[in-house]
Amino acid sequence: MLTVRHLNFNYPSSRPVLKSINLDFRPGNIYGLFGKNGEGKSTLMKIMTGLLFPKTGDCTLDQVSAKKRSVLGLQHIFLVPEDFELPSLSIATFEKTQSPFYPEFSKEQFYTLIEEFKLYPTEVISKLSFGQKKKVLIAFGIATNTKVLLMDEPTNGLDIPSKSQFRKVMASTVDETKCVVISTHQVRDLHSLINHVVILDNARVVFDYALGIVSERLWFGKPSNSDEPSILYSESSFGGKAILPRMGNNETEVDLELLFNGVLSEPHKINTILKNTHDETGV
Amino acid sequence: MKQEFNLSRIGLFMRRDLAIYKGTFSTGLLVAIVLIFLFSILNMVWDQQLDLGEFFGIFGLFYIPVGVLFTFSVFREFNNPKSNHLYLALPISIPERLAAKWLLTSVVYTLVFTFLAIIVGTFAVTMGTIVFNADFTLLSFFSEEYWKVVKVYFIIQPLFLVGAITFAKNRIGKTILVLGLLVLGFMLFNFILFGIFNHSYGVFSENSLGSEAISKAGTDFSTIGSWFYGLLFGPLMLVVAYFKMTEKEV
Repeated sequence: MLTVRHLNFNYPSSRPVLKSINLDFRPGNIYGLFGKNGEGKSTLMKIMTGLLFPKTGDCTLDQVSAKKRSVLGLQHIFLVPEDFELPSLSIATFEKTQSPFYPEFSKEQFYTLIEEFKLYPTEVISKLSFGQKKKVLIAFGIATNTKVLLMDEPTNGLDIPSKSQFRKVMASTVDETKCVVISTHQVRDLHSLINHVVILDNARVVFDYALGIVSERLWFGKPSNSDEPSILYSESSFGGKAILPRMGNNETEVDLELLFNGVLSEPHKINTILKNTHDETGV
Repeated sequence: MKQEFNLSRIGLFMRRDLAIYKGTFSTGLLVAIVLIFLFSILNMVWDQQLDLGEFFGIFGLFYIPVGVLFTFSVFREFNNPKSNHLYLALPISIPERLAAKWLLTSVVYTLVFTFLAIIVGTFAVTMGTIVFNADFTLLSFFSEEYWKVVKVYFIIQPLFLVGAITFAKNRIGKTILVLGLLVLGFMLFNFILFGIFNHSYGVFSENSLGSEAISKAGTDFSTIGSWFYGLLFGPLMLVVAYFKMTEKEV
């Protein structure tokens, strides 16, 4: 569906932000795009939407290049940016003026979500708080029913109840025809929501695996003394939690924060375990 | 092509812009028509008449600057780093965007402004006839004076449209500066051309002969010149605007 091939990007007179990026985003998945600040997550999302042009390489949605900004391509992708300004209109007028451009837009879904977010169609967007504005845009993005929905730090500005509400809404949104990519550096916010992890570090993709494979091949928890030689990564601040090859242990829930820190500090070790077992099983 | 150029999408985009800039448009138009009314009345106090030339002189005084301001205002979100994500990611092609913006800031704006100005002008003339005993003039856009003003606006507006797209800050000032430099450049270019073609006739040795020759050349070449500059500032600037919009990144 959404394919990124040999993509390189740098801003004028600055170091490369993205180097040799190759990624495939498939329908029916919620991807978590993780990375430290300034690692190119937002830039990658902007390139995928056609808002920035890559220096080399390309990003295509159903074989249509994003940099062409064709109507057909843009009708199937929606980006919820991290920082944005919405026009000073009521929520209802905003919907009326923006929605006709998206052929699959569902008014019913939009107003249901607006109600769920405790907002009213008559409220003027400019008078809402940043978190509320974000909810309006998230509701709009979901209601566009585009094939690809990109969200850049969607939980920034949301309070704690809204974050869990966001997870609930997102989980009920995705079906087999849609693909959602959520970029964040707040890994915990996406707990139990995503099913595929992509991690960017030093302008490159250092990790790209489905969570099913991760939980099948890696073990997360407090290791016993006998496990110490096989520890891939451990962190005292997590109460002695560590990542180990799963071997014969029971399957554990993937600790996203631990996985993220582990991949950043020991990318080679973790990728080798996943790649080898991945190749062995031929998954 | 049909997928990339759709008239109904242009209409929807214009409706969207009208909804977003409703406040700016209505305030600008209100200020302009109030000033047209006051200037028309003052003109009649002076000589108890308001002929078509005088009225459309006042009309042009507000129609062109307000139109230029509208042109800059409709491109506000295009250059705003916080709002241009949503704007540029909207499923509408560049030719459709350009057509919508141009139609709104030139054709629709001209129709609305003309309609309001003629109503206000007629009201002012009626009031002037009653209060100051001024001559009654029937204001109509079927007059040469009106079309001259409209022609000037349609020629210079695309240049301001390019300025609105190109510059992110101090857009009006920078565009006027570029326009001034262009005018100076063209004057110098014309003067050099004139010198090349006429120096052997000694037209620069005597002032009166020189100015006579310049005015004759101006008359002879005015049609070619107006077409040249008309094309340069009109359609060519719209082509420049198209490429500027195509290259735009957030």
